[in-house]
Amino acid sequence: MSMIEIERINTYYGDSHVLFDISMVVHECEVVALLGRNGAGKSTTLKTLAGVLHPRSGTIRFEGQSIELLPSHKIAGLGLQLVPEERRIFGGLTVEENLDLAALSAPAPLPLADIFAIFPRLRERRGSYGRSLSGGEQQMLTIARALIRRPRLILLDEPFEGLAVIIVQNLLEVCRQLVAQGQTIVIVEQNVRAALGLASRAYVLNNGHVVFEGTTEALQASPDVMNRYLGV
Amino acid sequence: MGGSHGRRLKRWLPELSLAIALVILPFGFDTWLGSVDLFTRILIWGIFGLGFDLLFGRTGLLSFGQGAFYGTGGFVTAYLVTSGRMDNVWLALAAGVAAAALFSVFVGLLALRRVGIYFAMITLAFGELSYFLENSPLSQWTGGENGLPGVPAPSIRIGGFDYSFAGSWPSYQLVAGFYFLGFVFARFVVLSPVGSVLTAIQQNPQRTAALGHDVGAYKLTVFVLAAVFAGCGGALLGIFQSYMPPDAFGLDTSGQLVIQTVIGGAGTLIGPAVGAAIWLTLRDLLQQVPAIGDLWKFILGLVFVLLVTFMPNGVVGKIILVWFRFGRRPQAAIGTERPRDVTAREALLAPLLMGIAPNLPARLALDVRDISKAYGGIQAVDGVSLALPEGRLHAIIGPNGAGKSTFLRLLACEETPDSGEILLHGIDVAAADVTAAYQYGLAKSYQINQLFPQLTMRQNLRIGALGRHRGRLRLDIFRPADGFAKVEHIVAALLEELGLTECADLVVSTLPYGEKRRLELGLALASQPSVLLLDEPLAGLSPVEREGVKQLIRNLRKGRTIILVEHDMDAVFELAERITVLHEGRKLAEGTPNEISGDPLVKQAYLGGMTVP
Amino acid sequence: MPTLPQFLSQAFNGIALGSLLALIASGLSIILGTLGVLNFAHGAMFMLGAYTAFVVLGHWDSFAIALALGALVLVLVGFATERGLIRFYYSRPKEDQILVTFGLGIMMVEAVRYVFGSLSQPVPLPSWGQGIVNLGFFIYPLYRVEVIGIVAVLLFTFYLLLYRTRIGLVVRAGIEDPLMVELLGTHVRRVFMVVFTIGAMAAGIAGVIYAPLAAVIPNMGEPFLVQCFVVVVIGGLGSFPGAVVGGIVVGEILSLTTLFDPAYSQAAIYAVMALVLIVRPRGLFGTMGRA
Repeated sequence: MSMIEIERINTYYGDSHVLFDISMVVHECEVVALLGRNGAGKSTTLKTLAGVLHPRSGTIRFEGQSIELLPSHKIAGLGLQLVPEERRIFGGLTVEENLDLAALSAPAPLPLADIFAIFPRLRERRGSYGRSLSGGEQQMLTIARALIRRPRLILLDEPFEGLAVIIVQNLLEVCRQLVAQGQTIVIVEQNVRAALGLASRAYVLNNGHVVFEGTTEALQASPDVMNRYLGV
Repeated sequence: MGGSHGRRLKRWLPELSLAIALVILPFGFDTWLGSVDLFTRILIWGIFGLGFDLLFGRTGLLSFGQGAFYGTGGFVTAYLVTSGRMDNVWLALAAGVAAAALFSVFVGLLALRRVGIYFAMITLAFGELSYFLENSPLSQWTGGENGLPGVPAPSIRIGGFDYSFAGSWPSYQLVAGFYFLGFVFARFVVLSPVGSVLTAIQQNPQRTAALGHDVGAYKLTVFVLAAVFAGCGGALLGIFQSYMPPDAFGLDTSGQLVIQTVIGGAGTLIGPAVGAAIWLTLRDLLQQVPAIGDLWKFILGLVFVLLVTFMPNGVVGKIILVWFRFGRRPQAAIGTERPRDVTAREALLAPLLMGIAPNLPARLALDVRDISKAYGGIQAVDGVSLALPEGRLHAIIGPNGAGKSTFLRLLACEETPDSGEILLHGIDVAAADVTAAYQYGLAKSYQINQLFPQLTMRQNLRIGALGRHRGRLRLDIFRPADGFAKVEHIVAALLEELGLTECADLVVSTLPYGEKRRLELGLALASQPSVLLLDEPLAGLSPVEREGVKQLIRNLRKGRTIILVEHDMDAVFELAERITVLHEGRKLAEGTPNEISGDPLVKQAYLGGMTVP
Repeated sequence: MPTLPQFLSQAFNGIALGSLLALIASGLSIILGTLGVLNFAHGAMFMLGAYTAFVVLGHWDSFAIALALGALVLVLVGFATERGLIRFYYSRPKEDQILVTFGLGIMMVEAVRYVFGSLSQPVPLPSWGQGIVNLGFFIYPLYRVEVIGIVAVLLFTFYLLLYRTRIGLVVRAGIEDPLMVELLGTHVRRVFMVVFTIGAMAAGIAGVIYAPLAAVIPNMGEPFLVQCFVVVVIGGLGSFPGAVVGGIVVGEILSLTTLFDPAYSQAAIYAVMALVLIVRPRGLFGTMGRA
């Protein structure tokens, strides 16, 4: 059962053409990795899915419904949740307020206790202002904000960037638990090793085009693809 | 195209038409309204508005406090002549204008620290402050709420000729004369390189600064100019009415100026006068209609709101737009002979090492020593060094978050490093700003186009080339914008090199992305930099366009040092002589393309290791 | 040399005036912070509140009704303004927004002038506000003390609204990062529309309260508008604490300098504004950006 079907979308930044006829499929309970170097179009693809950008042509069907023209708050309401690259924590709000805001428009949000069970550190910091959190804590919070909404599909945009190894391990463990619970995830990561550790399938982008799609094993068995598009 | 005679006529047509109008129109006013006084009043607002139009219409600075300078000019003049301290009204007028200019320097230095909304609020506050000062503390000189009556008119006494400007018609002649001179002067400003820079500031102030123009100084200049016009208008008001009213300082006055300019059309120079004509005529007319009477100002306010909503270019602006839609062929500027000779073109595009002492013992074009930059606890760049001899094409690569953009920003002098030195041909530019960097011969091409969208290709490139040839600030008001032959040649050569000659005189916002991207490169080249920073020059281009730009980069290398940040690895490996790899803010590796591609550490950084646990 | 009673009296005046300014400026600042619109008609909205008080208190001797109707009138005016005009300007340059609210302000002032004339309309003190009170060191008008109390309550309500309600949460987050709020499922624009209305209401209520204290004339809002700008520059754009602190500071400066030389009290606030611009351009509590 496909959860999201992207068909030949073309996205522009102003008149800069950044995504060229991108097509992708993600099935329920799957974890798909979206790989490629900087500027390849990975973040742009996620932003197009979430409604931050709108494609000039092509279609996106989420659980059967066309969403390519919907505004971002409606898409979030349908259960497609983006966890943005820059984390975008509300610095002037406390941890708890950040979570409350995320839960506001969710019909059946996850109880705070459950969130704190996943991220005990956030319980310790619940009254702290967003701006005083460390990088790792901010990343935990931004993932928690997505989880509290019980999304059907989570889009993770470079969740491990700039974080210490030990925190990345921590977050990876959380992700593995989510996967085990059947959460559908699309993950964009430059840390190829981490991404392939979670995902079962992968797409590789280069200069706005899809240059590889297949299982994780197939990708790892193609060192020339890995070197050409992911390495140096 | 009618040759030089046709061009000269075109240049002076507005001035000529104005002169004719100023001779003929007053008779109309006299005949139908019984007096020419309304027209005189309109022209006084017109003078006030000429300066404001340069400030707001051309540079985009919306000030709600111009009354401060209008009043200052008026009251200083009026006080000097009514108190008997000065007999010569002309001198008093000059003193009034000087006082307004001085006051505006003080206000400008404070208000111009902010832009947009803040600027509007601050200028309004200063306008009110001056109103208050006139009313209370200074009332023994200004007459407080009563103003200053008895202001005499100036006269000309040469030999036996004695003409006093007192009376209805002579007042008109005086004011019309000043308006005409003011218009001629304002036109010079608009058509000069200064005017081009002001327009550039309105459209993209950051890029204007990065192209070598001292934006703060230009803004202050136009602010003072606006005050000069305002002060002159205020002084003439006092003379015309034989009385200087206190409300010249008030928000009503400053607001009326804004309204009239918007109604008439901002950026057209005569817009304020046309707007004043409309406002004052409607005011007189509406007040006489029995059904309306006291509601006249409400209706005028409504008209204003409707105009701002539906006709933001104003009456004159709309007319000009319509005129231009019915065919105006692009005009070729002076000096567009293309340098067909390749060596001549190369000579033009060669790096300009002007301003840098040639005998400096620097064989290194760029010597970056151990620079670091942290943002709120995160070390974005950590002790990176780079030594580039002249003529090197050096690429900087690294995974996301490696610090490449920050490093490039530090090199471009957009930010100052926390520690370390950046030596450009031996000169330490670490603490310099972008404007200084451009003047020293360092230029950057941006990842996201930073252009002047409402100007033509040619005008865009001209702004870039003018920066290096005129320096940070030059008030060459009496020179036409295209009056530097050298600059025009460089612009023509650039257009040719970039393949943009066909669309040279088309407005940039109408052109496709590929052309805009090449213009972006062209702006960086316009100063003939010796060190060129290219931030993802291939971003968003089609494969064919990529080839074109790659070739262009190869062509540009002669005598020039280039630093390239790119994600297109194929391009990087094709073009670069040497590559530096950054990782987590530090230099991970440096070497030839072959060395880098074989380096296991680099592989590790990019892939996070090949095997999965 | 001012005496202690004089000093205390003026200090209290400063708080009374300052708290009113804080209320008006809070509305202006929140509108600016969320919508990015500088509402030049804000002073006119303040004036509309005062005139509502005049009309109401001419028929009923109930200050409560005056407050309620004043709030209601401004809610309607605010709503109509935002829906009918401002919302078409969100994507237009800032200067256009300033111009249209400026024009709107003129229209409001002139409409009131047409209906009520230019002469000052007397608004009586409420019966519970008449007379004086003995505050130990000095005697002080009762109403002004009550004003401080009422405005304190209103500011506290504003605070509760911003910091303890869901809408307040959305507003505070929206000032920081409206896109992220949208990504979390909340339609930010609709909330901001309410913000404009609330801001207008704050100005109107301040007008009702102020009406018995001074002359009610069509352009009474003008000096308040300018002082509000000074408050916002000093306190910082889009900041509620900045508006409150800035308001009190400006109020105190205005009142206390009157002790020494009334002629210079206005100049003093502009001097402080100039100082802030030099030393800390973003204001006491302001955040970077939104230049």
